[in-house]
Amino acid sequence: MTVIGVVRVRGRSMEPTLHTGDRLLVLRGAPPRVGRLAIVRLPDDSDGVRRPLAIKRVTMRDPADPTRYWVESDNQTAPGVTDSWTHGIGSLAREQIRALVLFRLPASYPGRRLARRVLRRFTR
Amino acid sequence: MLSRIFRTTEVSAHCDLPCGVYDPAQARIEAESIKAIIAKVADNDDPDFRTRAVLIKEQRSELVKHHLWVLWTDYFKAPHFEKYPQLHTLFNEATKLAGASGTKGEFDAGKADELLAKIAEIDTIFKETKAA
Repeated sequence: MTVIGVVRVRGRSMEPTLHTGDRLLVLRGAPPRVGRLAIVRLPDDSDGVRRPLAIKRVTMRDPADPTRYWVESDNQTAPGVTDSWTHGIGSLAREQIRALVLFRLPASYPGRRLARRVLRRFTR
Repeated sequence: MLSRIFRTTEVSAHCDLPCGVYDPAQARIEAESIKAIIAKVADNDDPDFRTRAVLIKEQRSELVKHHLWVLWTDYFKAPHFEKYPQLHTLFNEATKLAGASGTKGEFDAGKADELLAKIAEIDTIFKETKAA
């Protein structure tokens, strides 16, 4: 089942496409599409520590295994950039790709404060 | 249902290791990635993958240099260089191995291994200075 959701970006690895604080509308459970952004669960690091949910670009299918997806950061010059090219990560299985990013929500629009107030009432 | 939809989840576009923390592990991870890229390209003939791999390998090599330079110039202090006179040469050789004549310019797994060995030597000294 696909469910719509909102995520907030933190960090610099997707610059210049996205910046810290950007909010995105995502479709949870939707299949990944090559070229589009996705919310992914990267494998645990070498110390067995769980990595946070991350945002990456699905750049291709793994040439060695077409059932798996290759994901990359847009900002390859960010120190510590972590994606399919990083040792210990590689391509991701379908179930590691949690959501498809639809679009970025505008930071401000007419009636935003009212919309937030209404939302807060409904989601309390 | 609504609250589930509009609850904002934070997604990371961030690095693995925190910034501002000195650790040769940062250079090591990048060097290991370079070694893995060299291995992947060796048994893959997808042209797009190879083109991408060349570019990424260059960028990760630059990151190795970056991490090593941060250690060299910011972490290690004059007394360290007195106690370990080989340290300057070690950094010079390690960054050279990440450069055009090393992992940045070539697809040679041997160079990546040499680079990892140099980083391991720096790491040994780093750990000694931490323990002191």
